[in-house]
Amino acid sequence: MSRTSPQIPLGQNLPMHSIQHEATSRACVFAVCFCFLFSIAPHFANLPGWVSTIVVITLGWRGLQNLGKIRELPKWMLIPLVLFGGIGVFAEYWTIVGRDAGLALLTVMTSFKFLESKRQRDMLILVFLCYFLIATHFLYSQSVFTAAMMFVNLIVITATLITLNQRDDSVSLWERVRGSSKLVGLSVPLMLILFVLVPRVPGPLWGLQSEQRGGVTGLSNHMSPGKISNLIRSNEVAFRVDFKDQVPAQNRLYWRGPVMAQYDGYTWTQIPRKPLNRLNITVSEPAIDYTVTLEPNGEQWLLALDMPIRVIKGSFMTRDFQLTSKQKVNDLRRYSMQSRLDYRIGLDESPDYLEIARSYPDEYNPRTIAFGKSLAQRFENTLDIGNEVLKMFRQQEYVYTLSPPALGLNSVDEFLFGTRRGFCEHYAGAFALIMRSAGVPARIVTGYQGGEYNRVGNYLIVRQSDAHAWTEIWIEGHGWVRVDPTSAVSPTRIEQGLDDALAEEGSAFRIQNRNPIFGNLLYSWDNMQHSWNDWVLNYDQRKQRDFLNKLQIGIESWSDMVFALVFLLLAVTALYWFIAWYRERPARPQLYERLFDRLLQKLSKRGFHKEPAEDTRTFLERLPHRNFAQRKQIAGIIELYNHIKYGRRGASTRALGNLRTMIDSID
Amino acid sequence: MPSVALPKPVRRFIDNWFESHNPPSRDSILLHNRRLYILPTRFGYLFAIMLLFLFLAAINYQNSMAFVLTFMLTSLGIISLWHTHKNLLGVTIRMQIPRPVFCGESCEFKFEINHHNNARRYAIGIQYLDQPPVYVKLEPEGSVQAKLKIPTHRRGEFHPAGITVFTRYPTGLFHAWGWLKFDLPVLIYPRPTAQVKLQQSMIEQYDGQTSTSTIEGDDFAGLREHREGESLRHISWKAYAQGKGLLTKTFQGQARPSLWIDWEQMGQATTEEKLSFMTALVLAAEREEQKYGLRLPGLVLEQDFGNAHKHNCLQELAVFRQPEANREFRIEQD
Repeated sequence: MSRTSPQIPLGQNLPMHSIQHEATSRACVFAVCFCFLFSIAPHFANLPGWVSTIVVITLGWRGLQNLGKIRELPKWMLIPLVLFGGIGVFAEYWTIVGRDAGLALLTVMTSFKFLESKRQRDMLILVFLCYFLIATHFLYSQSVFTAAMMFVNLIVITATLITLNQRDDSVSLWERVRGSSKLVGLSVPLMLILFVLVPRVPGPLWGLQSEQRGGVTGLSNHMSPGKISNLIRSNEVAFRVDFKDQVPAQNRLYWRGPVMAQYDGYTWTQIPRKPLNRLNITVSEPAIDYTVTLEPNGEQWLLALDMPIRVIKGSFMTRDFQLTSKQKVNDLRRYSMQSRLDYRIGLDESPDYLEIARSYPDEYNPRTIAFGKSLAQRFENTLDIGNEVLKMFRQQEYVYTLSPPALGLNSVDEFLFGTRRGFCEHYAGAFALIMRSAGVPARIVTGYQGGEYNRVGNYLIVRQSDAHAWTEIWIEGHGWVRVDPTSAVSPTRIEQGLDDALAEEGSAFRIQNRNPIFGNLLYSWDNMQHSWNDWVLNYDQRKQRDFLNKLQIGIESWSDMVFALVFLLLAVTALYWFIAWYRERPARPQLYERLFDRLLQKLSKRGFHKEPAEDTRTFLERLPHRNFAQRKQIAGIIELYNHIKYGRRGASTRALGNLRTMIDSID
Repeated sequence: MPSVALPKPVRRFIDNWFESHNPPSRDSILLHNRRLYILPTRFGYLFAIMLLFLFLAAINYQNSMAFVLTFMLTSLGIISLWHTHKNLLGVTIRMQIPRPVFCGESCEFKFEINHHNNARRYAIGIQYLDQPPVYVKLEPEGSVQAKLKIPTHRRGEFHPAGITVFTRYPTGLFHAWGWLKFDLPVLIYPRPTAQVKLQQSMIEQYDGQTSTSTIEGDDFAGLREHREGESLRHISWKAYAQGKGLLTKTFQGQARPSLWIDWEQMGQATTEEKLSFMTALVLAAEREEQKYGLRLPGLVLEQDFGNAHKHNCLQELAVFRQPEANREFRIEQD
């Protein structure tokens, strides 16, 4: 036994860690299981089936174990399980990093962690993993819905965290959810302050894994008319456009995408991308300014109105005038663009490119090639050749349809002289081949045509169903000239859009056609998504600076932002603190008690102190009888006070009024 | 807490600082701002690291919603810091005067925890060092009792230091605590040696000429005022029924042999063993309702018996050669 110092080193005695080793209650285990299931459920679509199965089985196992129905898994079993999980993920993706494989690995390991989790510490770690899982949702979608789900998720996970720390299983579920919603709700204003004011750093900080992302797209890097007999019919939004001034006419809205100049007799492909050195463009009309908010397409395409005359940061223009991003467009991208609708390009096109644009393999489509050659003999002028073909499309029985019959090896021959049914790709492909065989340089341009005007938000919606293909032919002295053979077959496709062109096929991609009754409502909904994209998803360094400048409250530099941030955070928390203090403050003493306290203060000034534990009547006894003028009045006050406090009638307004008058009369 | 090796002067400075800001109380402790401390828990730090990762990922992927989530969780942390602190602020703790125990038994501390706020407070824990804590919940303007059992290892006056009232509610990211330092020591009697018999050598026979009135004896001698600690068996209930108060019957005659529990007679043993043995003798004598006295070096307690006498004897045994109040806490030299 040692002598101990008289000082008590309190600081050394902070017993913070034994608490984490406590066992958790049954309710807590269920809560954490539910919490994990809730945060992983939206991922079931993104995970391989066996991973989802593991989640369900392990949670079920843990649940039954919690009920005492089955035994706990021996600890050594975890090692083979974890190995199995790791190898399984690797076999599935051939990697364990990256978005999909990483998510699968995280899910599998978290599931197995459940099997050995018993203590408070394990449970807290699992809850943290659930918080982390929310972040992975945003790698797949950043829509308004996903964001709303984030809040629901946060409430569920925080409620679990509260359950773990509440140490009281008698608290109702509702009470927990309420407590959690309160925490989450109080966090929202702080989050908004942080979101607006935390200085944004341009990313990325380290190299990103290039992964194929993005959903359905109506475009492709190659085009094989006749291979797929059904075009993707999707009304998903490809991009939205805010025009600075008026929206140009529908038939002038050609959104330039991948350009294909290489042809192997069946498939059109892009030539290797080489940047254009100098954009030589002759124009007559004023330029059009607009901003594109491009949904992720998983490719390097940046769509722009034909013909873009500006190159944005991180992109370049290929020598066939395709605006190309240096990185894949895996996230929403917003860019300001300028285009000329009336233009002349490629007047000085290089001979080797023209050579590519004239070449075609001889062995396929002999009838088409012969037809092209015959046209070259009949007409001298290049434009006349083109017009002859368009006239043929217009006058003969060619049909515009989204479900044409599939075609064989000599696809153009079969289409031109046989089926005569097709959509833009068929017409553009056939036209380009005819032109090439007539010795005219021609190429395919794909992209989107048209768009739907949102009258609520005053912008243009371009959908995947607006995907289109047209051709460009090169004419000496004119450069590359756009020819859209589809317009010859189905002028409505170009003038009014796909829906009208396909009225017979009952297609309805556009809001106005799909739902005329709730049109405005749906336009508003789309407008909200557009604003969401604009304000939330695109809130980057530039947007932040613009927004703060617009507020005109003098936040200009980095340090201003930090100062405002700290100030606002403190102000909001101080406000919270005040409201909580006010709402939870101790109840005020009754009025008669406060009045009586006033009397006691008056008396104590004269040297008569009432002890806290002393009865009022005993105190009265103590007061001197002699030389004390107001003793009688004081006796009356004490009598009335006791009457109010203990009497059956209680504190009536009249009695309180009397008490006040009597006490005020004492000096 | 894994002891962080702080330089001694720093350590001492911190200890002094805490010491001067947490004066012991005889009555009740109100947890106000200066008595309440808050630090992140291990999970708080883990949470912060997770936030940092999320933030870097958000920058890297330029993912706006990841920013929203990061900031949301940061705000949740700030709010829970405040809530955890608020959960203890304004709570008053009163400790009942603890009853003495024998060394080796656990002594029971009873706390009354109350507050006057219109709020519900969950998971308020009271903990002694790293013993398992006791949790209570406070209803609005409510009051609850909590019992904490602390094992005892040494005799003497026990000033428990290191009892904390703490909370981690609602999120467990922060640990708010206040020290419950009351100036109400527990007396810890020496651990009694098991199985002792009163030995003849300790008993001094009086040679028959007992003339004093005692409550032991054969012939009834009269009534005198009841003294605290005397057995209820000797109270004259008849007199009590007549409204004369509590009177003890005394008898004349041969008194029972009385004994001395004497330090010198304990033979060869360590101090602690001697004290344990003497404690056991006090208990045995009390059980057999014999008069006994205590002789310690430099101290003699005259022969008597009863609860008060027993307590006096045990107290002297407890604090014997205990130069300082025995303050129990964990330090390296233990």
